[in-house]
Amino acid sequence: MLGILASIIDGVLVGLVYGLAAMGLTLIWGVMDVINLTHGAMIVAGMMALYLLANALGISPYLTLPPVLIGGFFVGVALYWIAIHRMVGRPPLMSLLSTFSVNLILIGVGTAVWGTALFNVEVSLPGITVGRYTFPGAHILAAVLAAVIAALLYVFLHYTRTGKAMRAVANNREAAELVGIPTTRVLAISVGVGVALAGVSGMLIGTLFPFTILSGDGYQLKGFIVTVLGGFGNPVGALLGGVALGLLEGMVTPFVPVSWTLVIEFALFVLVLIAFPGGIFASRRGAL
Amino acid sequence: MPDVANLNPAATSRAEALLTVESLEAGYGEVQVLWGLSLKARRGALTAIVGANGAGKTTTLRAVAGSIAPWRGKVSFEGEDVTHLPSHAKAARGFALVPEGRQLFATMSVAENLEMGAFSKRAAGKYADRLDQVFTLFPRLAERKRQLAGTLSGGEQQMVAIARGLMSDPDILIIDELSLGLAPVVVYQLLATLKQLKEAGLTILLVEQNVHLALALSDYAYVVAEGKIFMEGLPAELAAKPEIRKAYLGL
Repeated sequence: MLGILASIIDGVLVGLVYGLAAMGLTLIWGVMDVINLTHGAMIVAGMMALYLLANALGISPYLTLPPVLIGGFFVGVALYWIAIHRMVGRPPLMSLLSTFSVNLILIGVGTAVWGTALFNVEVSLPGITVGRYTFPGAHILAAVLAAVIAALLYVFLHYTRTGKAMRAVANNREAAELVGIPTTRVLAISVGVGVALAGVSGMLIGTLFPFTILSGDGYQLKGFIVTVLGGFGNPVGALLGGVALGLLEGMVTPFVPVSWTLVIEFALFVLVLIAFPGGIFASRRGAL
Repeated sequence: MPDVANLNPAATSRAEALLTVESLEAGYGEVQVLWGLSLKARRGALTAIVGANGAGKTTTLRAVAGSIAPWRGKVSFEGEDVTHLPSHAKAARGFALVPEGRQLFATMSVAENLEMGAFSKRAAGKYADRLDQVFTLFPRLAERKRQLAGTLSGGEQQMVAIARGLMSDPDILIIDELSLGLAPVVVYQLLATLKQLKEAGLTILLVEQNVHLALALSDYAYVVAEGKIFMEGLPAELAAKPEIRKAYLGL
């Protein structure tokens, strides 16, 4: 019984990181109704940045967080101008295809350079032991960092001028233009923030599990589930959705083979979509 | 000369026009809506644009404010050509458009909506003063400043929309369909506010479906039909014309 409890707690810890992974996706969707299909590639980019910086330079894995965050922002701004700018306001299929193309290019280049080898970043942190069970230190720290970054995003969106401008654009782009907000710049910044969040979540996931160049897709799919659980365009909801997904994984993994986890998650995805077409936390406060 | 000008605002509209629109053509996709529309908004006056549904009133304002790109023609403001400036740059020069249907930031509080109204550099420095001013004009908004804008009544939303426009420290306040969907009591309150603003020296350009209201309130009026100016003049002159009485006033 205690084993299941431990599994659930660990699920919540990992779930916070999943929530962070989905937050960038839901932010971009909320601001400009674009589904950024490079999200998985950006998560992998965060993982690879972690691996390269931590192994090549020998710095602590957690010190790679600031460069990943800042680098991710600029990559996101570039992505906006390359693949999204001309698609905003057009049918969603357009941006879906353009970001998917960029995704294929990035994954293709990554595979050409690094192959599909398994990478592993060693993190030596003492865990916390409760009775017979030890919660890995990496899981605890990743969860704490994910929660802190999510809180910072909330503060950014609600208490800074740029953050409020983002919410204004999410609400009504034409009206935002009319009050003097340079909305194109705000869209570019939003993609920058969204990609920075993807990169950081990838970096944190890289401290938890081994990964390959192709790992991004799986986490992007989890991102969609989390987004549906948390409500479209609701970054705070994404964190709750991530915890819910982590809980679910914690509850089912002791009982079913790993390969069934995704099946169960997507069954939940469909059920939630049928019951709550806008997501469970769709209309709650905290939406953009 | 100045005496004559004061007696006849129409004569001065050329000399003192703050906003001048010349031969404006615009539309959506393949559909042309405006076919060479020209008008002027005199400094310190309330200019009204009236006309039937689909005549091109809202399209005119959207093209003037930069929400849609004009196809041909010219928009000048303070003597400068601003035809192709994006909306946010026009806001920074003193344009404020209160769009049809309010278009508030629904999931943001009243206070945040007003703060966004003062986004441009020109307005940011005067934020505190402007906030005092709009709360004096609309005391109701001060009471509701923490409430989400999307949860207000229609009249309160229109107040937020006008207040948000005023927060930008505008030289010209452009209002699209002031009375649409509002109770008559609320409309009269808002009209009183507009009069106050005009007396304080603000230039106002008002689009209004209710022709009675528009003619009663304005200093000069344009009648738009089929994307062009069909008639223009002093409100009293227009109200006396048989074709206006029949088509727009129902008399």
